[in-house]
Amino acid sequence: MIAIAGCTGDGNGDGTGTADGNSGDGGNGDDGGQSIQFLTMGVGDNIKQFFEENNAAFEEEYGVNVEFTSVTWDNARQTVNNRVDGGQAPDVSRWPARWIPQLVGKGALEPVDDLMDGEFGEKFAEGVANGTMYNGSHYGVPWAASNKCLYYNKDVFEAAGLDPENPSLDTWQDMLSAAKTITESGEVSVPALGLAGADAIETGSQYYHYHWSYGADLVDDEGMPVVNSDGAAEALSFYADLHLEHGVTQASPLSSTRQDIRQLFENGDLGMVIGHVYTGLNITESQEKGEVDFEYGIAQVPKGPEGRYSLFTIDTLGILSQSEHKDIARDLIRFYFDEERRFQYSKQKGFLPVVKAVGEREYFSESKNWGPFVEAGQYARARPKLSNFSQFNDRMVQAIQEALADQKSPQKALDDAQSDLEDAMS
Amino acid sequence: MSLAEEYSKTDGESRLSQSIAHLKQNRRAYFLIAPAAVFLLAVVGYPILETFRLSLYRSPADSTIETFVGLQHYVEIVNSDIFYRLLWQTGRWVLVGVAGKTLLGLLIAVHLKNDIQGRKFFRTAFLIPWGIPYAISAVVFRWIEHPQFGYLNAVLLKLGVIDQGIGILGNPDIAWLGVVVADVWIGTPFMAIIFLAGLQSIPQDLYEAAAIDGAERWHQFRYITLPQLKSVILMATLLSTIWTFVSFDVIWTMTGGGPISTTATLVIHIYQVGLQNGNLGRGAAYSVIGFLFLLLFAIVYLRVYTRGGDEL
Repeated sequence: MIAIAGCTGDGNGDGTGTADGNSGDGGNGDDGGQSIQFLTMGVGDNIKQFFEENNAAFEEEYGVNVEFTSVTWDNARQTVNNRVDGGQAPDVSRWPARWIPQLVGKGALEPVDDLMDGEFGEKFAEGVANGTMYNGSHYGVPWAASNKCLYYNKDVFEAAGLDPENPSLDTWQDMLSAAKTITESGEVSVPALGLAGADAIETGSQYYHYHWSYGADLVDDEGMPVVNSDGAAEALSFYADLHLEHGVTQASPLSSTRQDIRQLFENGDLGMVIGHVYTGLNITESQEKGEVDFEYGIAQVPKGPEGRYSLFTIDTLGILSQSEHKDIARDLIRFYFDEERRFQYSKQKGFLPVVKAVGEREYFSESKNWGPFVEAGQYARARPKLSNFSQFNDRMVQAIQEALADQKSPQKALDDAQSDLEDAMS
Repeated sequence: MSLAEEYSKTDGESRLSQSIAHLKQNRRAYFLIAPAAVFLLAVVGYPILETFRLSLYRSPADSTIETFVGLQHYVEIVNSDIFYRLLWQTGRWVLVGVAGKTLLGLLIAVHLKNDIQGRKFFRTAFLIPWGIPYAISAVVFRWIEHPQFGYLNAVLLKLGVIDQGIGILGNPDIAWLGVVVADVWIGTPFMAIIFLAGLQSIPQDLYEAAAIDGAERWHQFRYITLPQLKSVILMATLLSTIWTFVSFDVIWTMTGGGPISTTATLVIHIYQVGLQNGNLGRGAAYSVIGFLFLLLFAIVYLRVYTRGGDEL
């Protein structure tokens, strides 16, 4: 019996997703009548059939009933926590790696070192595998990964007198220079650059590229906040000035979520935007349908004075401690990590392959859309794993908004955030 | 014992004996309503008590261990700047929202009572906003007010009033107005229907007598309609105040409480603190404070309401 509830589109809220493996070491195929609860998030139309077919195949192969549920990203964290707190945890659940500490603190996640330290774990690139670690143990298998690059609209660049084939977007200053040229050219009616500033989780995700590239960090080695360094203030100044001083962004960054600016770019109504691989995939699909008619290019996220970073997000597939079917749960994970299944998932869903063999396939390595993102893997950086990351991120978003609204200087906004975060985390 | 004390004691005793007698006389009635009372206590009383209990504990998101902290959450809340900002923003949201819904509802009801052409159509049409799920209406308004894709900006740009889109929901000074407009649009039909029902129960001969005496329309409205509608207006605004106070979906869908928390109300903050950030104890303390505010408001309001001899 497969039930899909609360399907959404392409996963928002900064989630990600993936899989591979072999058909494990003989599951409990004779557990007639047993059920396993498999919870995931953001199953949209592009991946619904994949799960339906594969859950049915698993049921047939193992003689186990898969109770499959998908919830929206908005409700993801609360749903899993409610079920854990109510003693009704699913057996297997997708779970963003940055939220691992919160469930581990409750004793709700099962370590899966037996999987990850063995042959199975060799499927993954080291950086990806490490992304599921916390306190020395793996608390999930890497299910999905995403990172970001800088998209630019070639038609806009050309109209503004810039070279669309050699866009020179290596540094933030290069990006600003191109944005100014576009804005001042008088030949282009669309904003040069998309800037996210709305009260949403992803505003932090867009800004952290700048923060890190100026040598700033979010937390120190002890997990305490360090958000108001000189570098951080420079980064936030640069970010806010893109709108306040240079006027190269869309009209109202404080109204714009990451999805808004992505949508603008995908419609051809924006010069540049930092986005996931699926931005390119969406445009390609729209081009094939004749819905849009513009050319785009993909560059690496620009570098700052202290380096280049591409925000890397990993979601895991974890086994909940309350599960009474942990062996079958492991079988389900191995089943979904079959290489061909992982290929189909990554291809259909539009997330980076987490399995090395899948990433090496021509489909990804030779693709105009995928190639730059595979390259961006070397600049990957994940958000810190904090049990209260949501609260941490909310406070950072507030500081970003205060600077963008010109209510506080970037230094003051970050100093206040630092003070509040110290209180919250002490 | 002074005379006053003796009187008061006697008075107290007689009231107690009256109550006991009343209980004895109505034993059967109380027995019959007992199941409903127990049910109510279970589904209403228990959550309230549990929320209060939870507000005395610290319960971090990453732990199942609750630590008793007494009134610490309350002390920290009343000593924080954000609490007073939330009170102001909640008060503003409720006051402007309820006033808007009441005035517009009254205006529409008065017009719908008159024998205008297409009255049946308008009565039905005015109900539509109330029939649409709040979240959907909120999404519609979010798009209407969107700086890049919104109709509002498109119209203003076409008319040449502005030269680039205004981000209403992204402007810390006016975002709350953008949300209130949506809430008023959603809530006005309910008020209009309630007021219309009230208007139709006012005897027509009062207006006829006033017209014979030479009273103009405004005076008829001022001295007949408003006094006759008083109880309906008070009841509708009480309900609307409670609903607006606890309203979540419109704000959350349109702004998420932003920008810079300028559209956050007490209820939005409770959700953010308690459920999003997993700080259940602090969230529960905010909930208790909100509950006490509403309770106090309802008591004062009903005192005023019944002062004139009106019965509920």
